[in-house]
Amino acid sequence: MREVQTIFPEARIPYGTWGCSYFPAWQASPLAEVNIGQFAGEAMARIMALRKVQLQQLDYLVIGSTVPWHFKFWNATVVSMCSGRRIPGFHVEQACATGLQAILLAGAQVSSGASQSVGVLTFDRTSDSPVGVFPERRSYRRTEVISDVWDNFGFDPATGKAMLQSAGNIARKYGLSRQEVDELTAFRYEQYFQGRTSGFIQRCAVPLEILNAQGKPMGVVDEDKGVKPISLQSLRSMRELDSCVTSGTQTHAADGMATLLVTTRERAKTLSTRPEIDIRFVAKAEVRAGASCMPEAPALAVGQLLKNAGLSLADMAVVKDHNPFAVNDAVFARTFQYDWHKMNNNGCPLVWGHPQGPTLTRVVMEALEEAVDLGGGYVLVFGCAAGDVGIAALFKVDG
Amino acid sequence: MKQMRKSTLEELGLGTVLDVFRNGKLPVDVEQAVTAVFGPPGDRGCMVISGANGVVGAGKLMQFAARLYPYGVPIVALDLAGAPDGIGKQFSGLRKAFGADQSAEIAKSIIQLNYDGKSLPSALKIYKPKFLLEAIPEKLELKKAHYALFRREYPDILIWSVTSGFPSEQLGVDIAHPAFPHEINKIFEIVEKKPGPTSALLWALGLIPVEVSDHWSFVLDVFFCGLMQASIRSSSMKNMPYWKTDKYIRKLVGPNPFRAHDAIGARGANFLTWSCLHHLYLQYGPLFEPVPELVERKDSGQNWYPPDHFRPLVNYSISDRERSELEDVVFGSLFQMTTIMLHERRASLPAMNAIGELCAQFTNGMLATLRNRGATAVLQTIERYHALHPEAAQTSWYPEELNRMSEVEWQQLYVNAEHDGKVGFIQISRESYNSDVDAELNRAMDWLLTQGIRRAILCGDFHLSTQMVGADTNEFFPALNEKSEGVRIAATWSATARRLHTDFDCTVGFINGKRCMGGMLELMMHCHYLFATDAVVLSMPEVTLPVVPGMEGCHWPFRKTNEAGRLQLAKMLLAGRPVKAAEALGWLVDRTGPQESLLGEAWNLVNGDESIATRRPFEHEALPPIRFGAIDGLDHSDAQLEQAREAIRTTIKEACGANLTDALRIQAEHSAAFMISALCHKGVVGAAWSKIASI
Repeated sequence: MREVQTIFPEARIPYGTWGCSYFPAWQASPLAEVNIGQFAGEAMARIMALRKVQLQQLDYLVIGSTVPWHFKFWNATVVSMCSGRRIPGFHVEQACATGLQAILLAGAQVSSGASQSVGVLTFDRTSDSPVGVFPERRSYRRTEVISDVWDNFGFDPATGKAMLQSAGNIARKYGLSRQEVDELTAFRYEQYFQGRTSGFIQRCAVPLEILNAQGKPMGVVDEDKGVKPISLQSLRSMRELDSCVTSGTQTHAADGMATLLVTTRERAKTLSTRPEIDIRFVAKAEVRAGASCMPEAPALAVGQLLKNAGLSLADMAVVKDHNPFAVNDAVFARTFQYDWHKMNNNGCPLVWGHPQGPTLTRVVMEALEEAVDLGGGYVLVFGCAAGDVGIAALFKVDG
Repeated sequence: MKQMRKSTLEELGLGTVLDVFRNGKLPVDVEQAVTAVFGPPGDRGCMVISGANGVVGAGKLMQFAARLYPYGVPIVALDLAGAPDGIGKQFSGLRKAFGADQSAEIAKSIIQLNYDGKSLPSALKIYKPKFLLEAIPEKLELKKAHYALFRREYPDILIWSVTSGFPSEQLGVDIAHPAFPHEINKIFEIVEKKPGPTSALLWALGLIPVEVSDHWSFVLDVFFCGLMQASIRSSSMKNMPYWKTDKYIRKLVGPNPFRAHDAIGARGANFLTWSCLHHLYLQYGPLFEPVPELVERKDSGQNWYPPDHFRPLVNYSISDRERSELEDVVFGSLFQMTTIMLHERRASLPAMNAIGELCAQFTNGMLATLRNRGATAVLQTIERYHALHPEAAQTSWYPEELNRMSEVEWQQLYVNAEHDGKVGFIQISRESYNSDVDAELNRAMDWLLTQGIRRAILCGDFHLSTQMVGADTNEFFPALNEKSEGVRIAATWSATARRLHTDFDCTVGFINGKRCMGGMLELMMHCHYLFATDAVVLSMPEVTLPVVPGMEGCHWPFRKTNEAGRLQLAKMLLAGRPVKAAEALGWLVDRTGPQESLLGEAWNLVNGDESIATRRPFEHEALPPIRFGAIDGLDHSDAQLEQAREAIRTTIKEACGANLTDALRIQAEHSAAFMISALCHKGVVGAAWSKIASI
């Protein structure tokens, strides 16, 4: 048997010490009007209590978000205060790679011996996007105003193009057919609703009741609001916004948070409700694709990761990605001659939405849950991020 | 004389309640007490309060100045030069309580002096210091030097420390530990070798001194700091935000410990709680060891509640299992601490129990809680707590104390009885009526009857209970959704009250203090005679809550008066406004007057001199219809108030229109039916319940 390599030999993810809010579509839930940093801190306390983890056991916090929020300057310190546990930490931001990068950085923090138990907490509120006002002496308007979410989606300053155009661009580059992309999308919805029906989704997502300023309940976030079953027929009838890109074959903006712990080998056994399960960090890769080629970047990252690890896709027990466009999955499948039916079981961001910061954190926890169900194995998680970036990471679940 | 148990008044060296009536006067009057401490009129010395700008010092300054100024006792407020002004802040409260003119007079009796901490100002001599109330910071050496400073210049001065958790033995002075809020809370835990003139002075001034033993920290501090410690521990176990834990603690025990710390001022309060627990930890062990969260906040002074810009977003609910764990942590630690205090005999049991209620805002006193659960359940709770917090088991505690629960001092925490072979005295030391009082009252009556006593006076205890505020509305909560529970409460409590009428040959309800209201007044009116001192106000405020009186207030007193009296009673019930005792003479009250004369008259009457007052005949059959239309002076603009009035009017009409046997059932039915109505749920009782229920 070949020895498993690890990038962070001392770091472990204790099984089950994770959870997330549901990801309601933007503007569709009480999360649209909260300070999402505060919400994340409070929700983390709640989720960890449900997982029987006392926050006192944490000594560091890595937070991740991409959309500015009130008091962001104070980053992890203020979020940890909201959780009830005053610990140090930092904020990481790498567009849609944030949720995975934060976990990897927590692994590094533990493996370096700097911390014993690190909380990873990622969150974003895309609803009611904050607006930035930037003095720009060299712009003809002298002062630029940016609505953080939508203006950035619509304009990559490196290429001058919208993100959506990168999907169309790649669909043309790979000669993808609209029919395949629609069928892939319809299948992804089926996978998600199977996950919901089986109770898989509920193992990670936690219902949370939100209070208004008077302390009265203003609603419970207990579903990925806005996600409805969709038929192949209706996908086919949708207007094409760019090649193979319709409103159905791309994700939607959402709000939410996700949290997970990274700790030492020894502590993982005490923090987890199933200490026999061992979850290790195996490898990581990041690449940057060509200009406006974002959807192919993840496949490139996976290629590099597998090469470095000396593994193949056939070695993977679980394959799961952040796929803002169905095109991403089609390109991945084409690149590796991989059957896209075999990946993204029980749901993926294309369906359950994209609150940016926490998206890949939820992908990781769902992927790990699936691997445990399967009795362990390699878990491949990957995704794209603004700037034509692809990120991939490999975990190993034993026990 | 025989007693069920020793009265708390006796603990102060002030004799028994029986003595008060037999002597026809209070054990000590204010003039006497003031003279004993400050000297005779014309040559009176002053009271010095050092550290007068602090929270405790400034509060006590106002409390004593307001009480001593009529007796020409100056109050010197002494503090370090440059100390932040804490006294000025108090004047608005003083004006609110006493009005502009009287508060100005009170202020005139306060002399503010500065000193440097090393020598006393020469101007102090002019005022002849007799009594020092020390309220300087809680540092042992600093305090000792302070006392030495005073004793050097004023060797005979009486000294009390009011800000110390140190034992008197360490300080070398007596201690009076006041409860928060310092401007208005009357309770002082007193440590003195034997009851002296200063504690008698406090009692005479209307304050409530309670004798306690000389141990580290005080009964209140052990209860409240212990509760805070347990609350923090519970929060941490569940990652539960403090604001939410506060809600559970409020439902479970009564107070909101975290809010209380923030309200007092987190920096100071956190330090005091830590200091109390730290010293107890050193003395007793890990049960009291301050938790890290408290240590952190002691150092930072950070509030427990989030700031306004972080008002809570995520609600937090816990499962039944988690709730019972929380209960085990809170009660387990409090129960263990209580056994230690019982073992040390820190105070008489009724006093220890009352401190929890009167100072720590416990819904039920801790000893009453233990008693109601029973020894076995208490032990099991402590064991479960130790499973959750094993270190606590390393602290010695005394389960054997729980084996004494059947003793009379345990059984009569709120009601005592004594007699001289002919006349009995039933004394209630709780301001509001609840099921504990009800049970103890029955036991007290049983005891007197067993002793062959058929003539008795029902009164307060002249100590812990300074007024009678009616039924404890917490008791109504189960009845808000269950009519049968309302019927049970009304029928049970009424049956107890009726015994005063049926089981004794002569009973006198004696009301002194500030007021007697609602359920307590209903209880008192069941006596054959009702005596109330001039200063007392009486009221049946149920309509304002609203509830319908359940202890026969809607028919019992009506059966003892004429038509005009019945209209007055009906008006009292429908208006909900208080009346002075003299105004109720003849239709509710049988005798009124100054306290000292009334004491003697009650004594004479119960001893057989029925010329003091005429016993009003009692009508057992249905009364003629009451002419409600003849009642004037009611404001009809409030629709909800009108609805509540209609419910009470109906109850009066039906209960008075029936014979006595049926009236009991009718009254209980109406009271219980109203309790489950939407109107009651919208009112004070319903709102209080929903705050607790909607956690």
